[in-house]
Amino acid sequence: MIRVVIIGGGWAGCAAAVAAKKAGAKVILIERTDMLLGLGNVGGIMRNNGRYTAAEECIALGAKELFAITDKASRHVNIDFPGHKHASLYDVTKVEPMVRILLKEMGIEMHFISRAIDVEMDGRTIKGIYLQNEELLEGDIFIETTGSTGPMGNCLKYGNGCSMCILRCPSFGPRISISQKTGVADILGQRGDGSYGAFSGSCKLNKDSLSEEIRDALNSKGVVVLPVPKEDINSDKLSLKVCQQYALKEYAENIVLLDTGHAKLMTPFYPLEKLRKIKGLEFARYEDPYAGGIGNSIRYLSTSPRDNGMKVKGVENLLCAGEKSGLFVGHTEAITTGSLAGHNAVRLALGLHLLELPRNLAVGDLIAFANERIQQKDGLKERFTFAGSTYFKRMNEKGLYILDKDKIAKKVRRIDLYGIFNEKII
Amino acid sequence: MARVKTVCVDAGSEFCPCYLAELNECITCSHLQGKGFCDCGNIGICIYQEYIWCGSKKKATRGVFPAKILEKHPLSKKAVLLKLKVSKKLARQLNEPGAFVFLREKHMPHYFDAPMSIMNSSEEGGVILIAIQIRGIKTKTLKNVGNEVLLKGPYWNGILGKAFLKQVAGENCLVVAKGISQAPAVLVVNKLIKNNNNVEIILDKGNLGKIFVDGYLDRERCSIVSLDLMSSSGREYLEQKLSDRNLRLVFSAGPDKLHLEILEKLAVLNPEVLLAVTNNTPMVCGEGVCGSCSVVLENGLQIRACKTQVDVRKAMERRVLRD
Ligand SMILES: Cc1cc2nc3c(=O)[nH]c(=O)nc-3n(C[C@H](O)[C@H](O)[C@H](O)COP(=O)(O)OP(=O)(O)OC[C@H]3O[C@@H](n4cnc5c(N)ncnc54)[C@H](O)[C@@H]3O)c2cc1C
Ligand SMILES: Cc1cc2nc3c(=O)[nH]c(=O)nc-3n(C[C@H](O)[C@H](O)[C@H](O)COP(=O)(O)OP(=O)(O)OC[C@H]3O[C@@H](n4cnc5c(N)ncnc54)[C@H](O)[C@@H]3O)c2cc1C
Ligand code: FES
Repeated sequence: MIRVVIIGGGWAGCAAAVAAKKAGAKVILIERTDMLLGLGNVGGIMRNNGRYTAAEECIALGAKELFAITDKASRHVNIDFPGHKHASLYDVTKVEPMVRILLKEMGIEMHFISRAIDVEMDGRTIKGIYLQNEELLEGDIFIETTGSTGPMGNCLKYGNGCSMCILRCPSFGPRISISQKTGVADILGQRGDGSYGAFSGSCKLNKDSLSEEIRDALNSKGVVVLPVPKEDINSDKLSLKVCQQYALKEYAENIVLLDTGHAKLMTPFYPLEKLRKIKGLEFARYEDPYAGGIGNSIRYLSTSPRDNGMKVKGVENLLCAGEKSGLFVGHTEAITTGSLAGHNAVRLALGLHLLELPRNLAVGDLIAFANERIQQKDGLKERFTFAGSTYFKRMNEKGLYILDKDKIAKKVRRIDLYGIFNEKII
Repeated sequence: MARVKTVCVDAGSEFCPCYLAELNECITCSHLQGKGFCDCGNIGICIYQEYIWCGSKKKATRGVFPAKILEKHPLSKKAVLLKLKVSKKLARQLNEPGAFVFLREKHMPHYFDAPMSIMNSSEEGGVILIAIQIRGIKTKTLKNVGNEVLLKGPYWNGILGKAFLKQVAGENCLVVAKGISQAPAVLVVNKLIKNNNNVEIILDKGNLGKIFVDGYLDRERCSIVSLDLMSSSGREYLEQKLSDRNLRLVFSAGPDKLHLEILEKLAVLNPEVLLAVTNNTPMVCGEGVCGSCSVVLENGLQIRACKTQVDVRKAMERRVLRD
């Protein structure tokens, strides 16, 4: 039986596990913390702008399971907020156990508090990965989905220091770039000014610490927009963010809160004193990162060079997905790339051609476009998401932004890829 | 290439970051080796963070203190046991397997510093015990010390495989100690007993000609056998003990030749057993600076053995044997 070992249990790793399992592999998922979903435990926004199209394309391709969960766990559907339309907001306090149950029921072997720290190579092929406890875990194909966030030294060198985010590096040990351990150098994303990495673009406030009025508005409508006092408006901060889809003027002049179980605050960090000057936030406190008043996690320091079938260049049996595979932002983007990598892991093991998603689908075009742009100097300063910025603009221009589910399903049928991720290859 | 895990024994201590961090030669942190990314493999602390918090400077280094000699007992013609008065804090810091200090006669210059293991440490009284075998230049000057010596410390890398000593609990352990190295075995045995292990101790008087630690071991909670490890009956006994399927950990205290012999026997008889050994590398500064403790591992990696915890088997591969 083909053994596929997946390193990192974020959305990308979970999607890869589901797809590889459906294609017929034995799947082992390694996660350094005690929870699945990684950054997915603090996000929540789905189906906004072009992500709607991408989600429906994935579902038509057969990668439906995780979207079924995020839809089911949504507290609000079809809401609008500045620059964004028809979003769903999943409840971050509910979604992780739901995914864990699914993976368990599918027979995916999961190991928690289990950190990959090095590789054992045989030429350009990975024989196994070493875990923190020195154990060597062998496999036929490996998929790296370790994300690009942190660890502490990076958050300090390129940010404001560890702000204690959901990844909890001091407790579970630092993220490790597995591809770098095989000798393939990481590509580093940049900010507008050319410095490396970028701040995560939002934080979470404890909803119970907000005024009753705001809490009620969040619970019923999902969105609250509050004006920032004139003297505190700071447009420069927008360029710090990874999430260029939220780098709009409205986000400098207003506090935008979204209800994802906690109150999602659409800014990388905000000094607590200033935050508490705003009506209704007098008692506010942070839920993630704990020190959201001073900083946030630093991301995009660890992208692997890859082809459009998600195989890492220079290693025979390593694939990648999620933030590890490009300057991608988003759960939807992680699930898309993860599903393809998981499916292709089995193809690679069998010596078959790797599937590349066609460019007349948004999902295929994003994967290929991000790969083209990362090879250009100014492309390192871009982030790629269906939800906004450069890529959403491109989706509109190319006619890829479609909101009709049936039309999307028909399109996928026409190119003969309907349900491809459901096919058992072995 | 097999992986070699190296960890600085001082990481996270009050002496970290040190000179090596300032010079971009930190043993643990990749940022402080001049690389642009994180790759330390460590858990729980970030040396780089600490360094920046310290204003991009090292912390204060270890001091040299005069220590009063409370008692002095000859162990043999060429060995002496010293009872020293130190601060309570230092006694606490030294109350751990692998702890050692540098000692020198108070009129001699710093290059007379000789590393000496802590045999016992009592925090309440601020008293430590050290057994010294007189070998050559430096130790000769310690033979006739007056009522005070100069002491530099605390240091912690006197044992390789320290993590194993911490982690075993409720298991069967074997301690083999020979000659002057009976001294560093005392803190180890006490630690193992504290963690509810079954401890058997084999003591060999070696060329020192004396068993001197039995009075410091809790006889109720461990068993002690004295024998000559060079004799055929001694070897046989050791071999029989090493092949015990229920054995979890061996601590070897003695010359490298003893370590090597145990290592080779375990490789055949009982390869899963954890092994910790006394670190016999010659040391001068203890700070990872002078280079006298440099060991080149088989994969070409050069380590400073005074500060680096490295797998015993890897450390022994290329080493010149010390007795
Ligand atoms: C605060 C915040 C809010 C966000 N909000 C949204 C949102 O609302 N909507 C949206 O679509 N996107 C959002 N994003 C972005 C989105 O969460 C990420 O782009 C996406 O989830 C990345 O998924 P991933 O699987 O690639 O990486 P990660 O989620 O980073 O997962 C990587 C996983 O690998 C594990 N790992 C790392 N190294 C090792 C190792 N050596 N061994 C074992 N395991 C390891 C990590 O612990 C982690 O669980 C947000 C991001 C942040 C930080
Ligand atoms: C961490 C550590 C803890 C130690 N604990 C003790 C202790 O508790 N009691 C004790 O008596 N000695 C101990 N030693 C050994 C002691 O430090 C040396 O014997 C001493 O430094 C020798 O100095 P010298 O000038 O007298 O001898 P030298 O003139 O330098 O050498 C004389 C002989 O001793 C050997 N020798 C020199 N240095 C060492 C060394 N570091 N280890 C082994 N052999 C050596 C030489 O090869 C030579 O054969 C320890 C050494 C280390 C590294
Ligand atoms: S003793 Fe000086 S470097 Fe180790």
